[in-house]
Amino acid sequence: MIEAVRLTKRYGKKPAVDDVSFTVRPGRITGFLGPNGAGKSTTLRMLLGLDHPDDGTALIAGQRYRDLRHPLRTVGALLDGAGPVPERRGIDHLVWMAQSNRIPRRRAHEVLELVGLTGAARQRVKGYSLGMGQRLGIAAALLGDPEILVLDEPVNGLDPDGIRWVRNFLREYAASGRTVLLSSHLMAETAGTADDAIVIAGGRIVAHGSLDDISAGHESLESAFFALTAERGGRGGW
Amino acid sequence: MVSDTVSAARAELTKIATLRGVRLLTGVIVGLHVLMLAQNVSAETEAVSKITADGMIERFPGIVRPAREALVEYLATSSFQMCLFLPCIAAVIAGQEFRAGQLGTSLLAVPRRGLLIGAKTLAAGGFLLSVAAVIAAISTAFMYVTVKGWNPGLPVSADAWIAQAKFLTYAVLSGLITFAITMVARSTLVGILITAVLTVLTMSQIPAAFTPALDALVPLSAGRNLILVPEESLRLSAGPGHAMVVLVTWPLLATVTAAVALGRRDAR
Ligand SMILES: Nc1ncnc2c1ncn2[C@@H]1O[C@H](COP(=O)(O)OP(=O)(O)O)[C@@H](O)[C@H]1O
Ligand SMILES: [Mg+2]
Repeated sequence: MIEAVRLTKRYGKKPAVDDVSFTVRPGRITGFLGPNGAGKSTTLRMLLGLDHPDDGTALIAGQRYRDLRHPLRTVGALLDGAGPVPERRGIDHLVWMAQSNRIPRRRAHEVLELVGLTGAARQRVKGYSLGMGQRLGIAAALLGDPEILVLDEPVNGLDPDGIRWVRNFLREYAASGRTVLLSSHLMAETAGTADDAIVIAGGRIVAHGSLDDISAGHESLESAFFALTAERGGRGGW
Repeated sequence: MVSDTVSAARAELTKIATLRGVRLLTGVIVGLHVLMLAQNVSAETEAVSKITADGMIERFPGIVRPAREALVEYLATSSFQMCLFLPCIAAVIAGQEFRAGQLGTSLLAVPRRGLLIGAKTLAAGGFLLSVAAVIAAISTAFMYVTVKGWNPGLPVSADAWIAQAKFLTYAVLSGLITFAITMVARSTLVGILITAVLTVLTMSQIPAAFTPALDALVPLSAGRNLILVPEESLRLSAGPGHAMVVLVTWPLLATVTAAVALGRRDAR
């Protein structure tokens, strides 16, 4: 369970995230949708304690993220602006993360296998393609076999095979009763993955509910998003 | 709590050891040390062979000193020279966090800021200590080669151990100053530049021109005060006790500042 309560973040005078509240329930995939610059990454970074909100609170499994003892075992995250050092090898990146949370080393090899990076484990991250980097990020998120997954644009840079793999994987993950929150600016791809959606535009939540509810009264989910986000003057980029 | 610190510090050690830049730089510094000592071996050996019956040595033309004291000091100062470069390792270790969003990942793994800074400091300090120990061992080996015909026990005498311990202390503490400054500045380059400015303060003797008390507060000056033996041609700005206080206070304040900054700022 994830709870955001009145989260607000300003850069200068302009609010990037404005009074954002929502809850994300277990057993379902929740899409966090909005155009580029809507405030998705900023919200997720506040949820995981990387950025300080100017106002509001975020709770994960009932606690602030920074109060979790071995956070990687509770929450797996793929975030904007939280990546590996390019000179380090993929496996080394996962090994230090595992050590920090007392996760057995073999788990690093397991998650690499899971995302299909075993062959590139000893390669420097610098040499990875965009898609491989994304796979490594997903592997890192899965390291602690967490109850909760928070993924910021996880399919960016993935090929169609990769996208399908992520989709199926997340479906299974949620079906086993775990919580999945994934952000995206791509409607079509999310429509086929998520059960629920939170729509954000211009830093504010404009819709929150099941995908069916949100698209009710519109031609398609996609047109529902356009209608919802246009009102807030989203800057395009869908 | 203790076990959390241990696992976080262990992860930080892995980060240090798996960074090519750190390994490369460490290799270069150790190599440089060997090179400088190798260059001096014959001159020092010759000076040792001319030690007078009453135990006086002339290592530099015109400066005649008790051989034992002069050689033990040489043992420490030859290692001490490397402290000009060791902080660069600390800066590279600290600076890695501010590349490609590594800090974000670190804080996802260890979100308690105090714990993270503590673990990082422990790991960096441990790594610096081990590099400094290698440097000290190399100095000891060269010293043995130099004095084996006169007093082969000198490199492992109590005096020598004390001199080495002072060097190790300074090497670690001065490295941790740069480490913390780099964490605050969020840049390897800025960390190195600030360290260079502090070094120049001692080298140029600008603070000393005002008052020795001011000079004694600069880290490198404190290092000199800790390690060198005062004599006629060398006036020091304070005693070793004062130097230790200065050398502990600097990294302590810098690290606390780094922890506060980490707690307040967004992880970028
Ligand atoms: N570090 C920052 N400094 C200044 N403005 C920022 C910063 N990070 C994000 N913003 C601004 O905040 C808004 C939301 O950005 P972001 O959360 O990245 O959106 P999204 O992830 O939905 O594309 C954007 O207008 C962006 O320009
Ligand atoms: Mg984003």
